[in-house]
Amino acid sequence: MVFTDAMWAIARKELSDKLKSRWVIVIAVGFAFFTLVIAYFGGATSGVAGFRNMEATVASLTSLVTYFIPILALTLGGGIIADEHDKGTLEIYLASPISPAEFITGKFLGLAIALSLAMVAGLGISGLALLIGSGMKAFASYLVFMLNSAVLGFIFLSVSFLVSVLFRERARVIAFTVFLWLFFSVLYDLGLIGLLIITKGAVGNDVFSIFLTLNPVDVYRVINFLSIGELKVFLGLVSVDLPAYMKTPVLAAVSLAWVGVPLFMSYRLFKKRYLA
Amino acid sequence: MLELIDLSKNFGEIRAVDSVSLKIREGEMLGLVGPNGSGKSTLLKLMLGITRPTSGRVLMDGKELTERGWKELRKRIGYMPERVVFYDNLTGKETVALFARIKGGDPTRAEDLLKSVGLAHAAGRKVGGYSKGMRQRLNLAQALSNDPDLLVLDEPSSGLDPVGTKEFYAIIDGVRARKKLTVVLSSHILAEIEDRIDRVAVMKNGSLKAVGSLEELYTSLKLPLKVTLSVNGAGKEMAALLQNAGAMDVVIHGSRLVADVPRADKLKILSTLMERQDGFHDLSIREPNLEEVFFGVH
Repeated sequence: MVFTDAMWAIARKELSDKLKSRWVIVIAVGFAFFTLVIAYFGGATSGVAGFRNMEATVASLTSLVTYFIPILALTLGGGIIADEHDKGTLEIYLASPISPAEFITGKFLGLAIALSLAMVAGLGISGLALLIGSGMKAFASYLVFMLNSAVLGFIFLSVSFLVSVLFRERARVIAFTVFLWLFFSVLYDLGLIGLLIITKGAVGNDVFSIFLTLNPVDVYRVINFLSIGELKVFLGLVSVDLPAYMKTPVLAAVSLAWVGVPLFMSYRLFKKRYLA
Repeated sequence: MLELIDLSKNFGEIRAVDSVSLKIREGEMLGLVGPNGSGKSTLLKLMLGITRPTSGRVLMDGKELTERGWKELRKRIGYMPERVVFYDNLTGKETVALFARIKGGDPTRAEDLLKSVGLAHAAGRKVGGYSKGMRQRLNLAQALSNDPDLLVLDEPSSGLDPVGTKEFYAIIDGVRARKKLTVVLSSHILAEIEDRIDRVAVMKNGSLKAVGSLEELYTSLKLPLKVTLSVNGAGKEMAALLQNAGAMDVVIHGSRLVADVPRADKLKILSTLMERQDGFHDLSIREPNLEEVFFGVH
C-alpha cells in the first residue's frame, strides 16, 4: 500500500493531538513508574526486594502489561469514528478525494505511533534501570518484550477500530470496550483453565495451542515466555507444555494477523456503513 | 458540468430521493430549496458520492463516474456540511491546512484563505474559542482550501445573524468574481437566497417539483403580481374596476387595496388605473418571490 500525503496528514493530526494533550507523556510516565515498581518489588512475596534477573522481571512485567495495554489501546481508538461523526468532520473526509482505506490507515498510523512512543519511552526508562541493576545478560529478552508489547498494543488498537465502526454511540463503545478487555485479559484464560479441569487434561496440546492463538493476550504471553527460555505456559497455577511448532516466528505471524484482520474488517464495515 | 439522471435513494422503506434528474451548469449558482425532510441533504450527498444511489446515474462532463472518476471529481469539489464543529485543539490555520492536505490543496494558502473569509485575526487562535459565525467562516475556508470548481453548501447561513449572512454571501461573490465557480446551495431560508441564485430547484418528499430561473418559474406557475393601492375613499369602486379588468383576490384593508394581477394583464390593469388616477394616491407593484414559488409548487 502506498502511504499518501493525505494519509500522513491524518496520521500527523492524530499524533499531534496526543502529544499536545500530554497523553504520550502521562502514559510513558505511568508505564515507567509501574514497570519499575514491578521490577523492584516483584519478588516481595518471597521476601526479596530489588532488581532481579531479566527473566524474572519480564515474567512479572508480562502480567502487568496484559492488563494495562489492552484497555489503553481499546480506549485510545474506540471512539475514533464516533468523534468525527459527532464533530461533523466525517462528512468532509467522505467528500474528499481520500479513500476509506487511506482514512482508516492514517488514523491507525497516528495512534499507533503515539502508543509506541509512550510505550518505548516508559518501558525504555525501566529497561535502562534494569540494565544498570541487572547487567546486559538477557537484555535481548527485554527488547523482545518491548517489541512484543508494542505489537499487543497495535492488536488492541486494531480491535478498537472495529469497535468504533460497529457502534456509533459512545456509551456502547465504552461498554463493549470494557467487555472485550475483561474477556481477553481475564475471562478467556479462566475458560481455558475450566476446560482443562472439566476434561481432566484430556484436551490435547495441539487443540490447546489453537485455543491460545485465538486470544492475542495469550499469544503475547507465550512469545515473552519463549524469549526467556520458558517452554511452558503458565495460566495461574496450571502449566501446559507447548508443541514444538509453537515457535516465535509462528506466533509473531499470528500476532500480525491479529493486527491486520480486525483493521481490514473495520475498513470493510466502514465502507458498508458510511458509504452505502 | 454535473448531471444527475433519474437518481433515487432508499433508506429501508423510506424513499428519500425519488427519480431526480438535474443538470448543474458550469458557473451558475443553483439554489436547492424545500422543507425539512424533502431530500435536499440526501441529494447533495448523492452528488458528492458520499452515499450511493439505489438507482440512477451521476455524469461528470457527460461521462459516468467510476471509482477513480469520483476521486477525480472530489478533487474539484469543495463541500461545506451543515453542522460541523471542527477540532477545538487546532488553530484556524491548522484546520484549513489539514483539510487542504487531505483534499490535495496547498496548505500554505491557509492564511490567505482565512483572510478572504474574514478570519485573519483569528488564524492563530484555537477553534475552541471561535463563535458560531467564525466556525461557519472556517467551514467555508476549508471548503475553498482545494480551490474547487464546484462548491456545495448545505444550509450555509445556519446560525448566522443577518449581518453575518450578508458578509458570507459577499465572500462567495468575491470568489466567483475571481474565478468561474459553480455553486450549489441548499437552504430553507428562501428570502436569503432568492436574489443570489441563477436557478432554483424545488424539492418535496424526495421529488424535484420544479427547476428553472425564478422568471421561468413565475411564468410556468402563473404566479400573479401583487398590486397595492392607497385608495381615496372606501375603495369599493376601485376594487370593482380592478376586478373587471382581470384582477383576482381583491382585498380592502382600510385605505389599502391589494389585488393579485395575472402577469399577462399587467399593462392592461396599469392602463385602467391611469384612467382613474383620482381614485388612489399611491401605487406599488411587487413581483412574485421565491416563497410564492415554493408554496405554488407545494
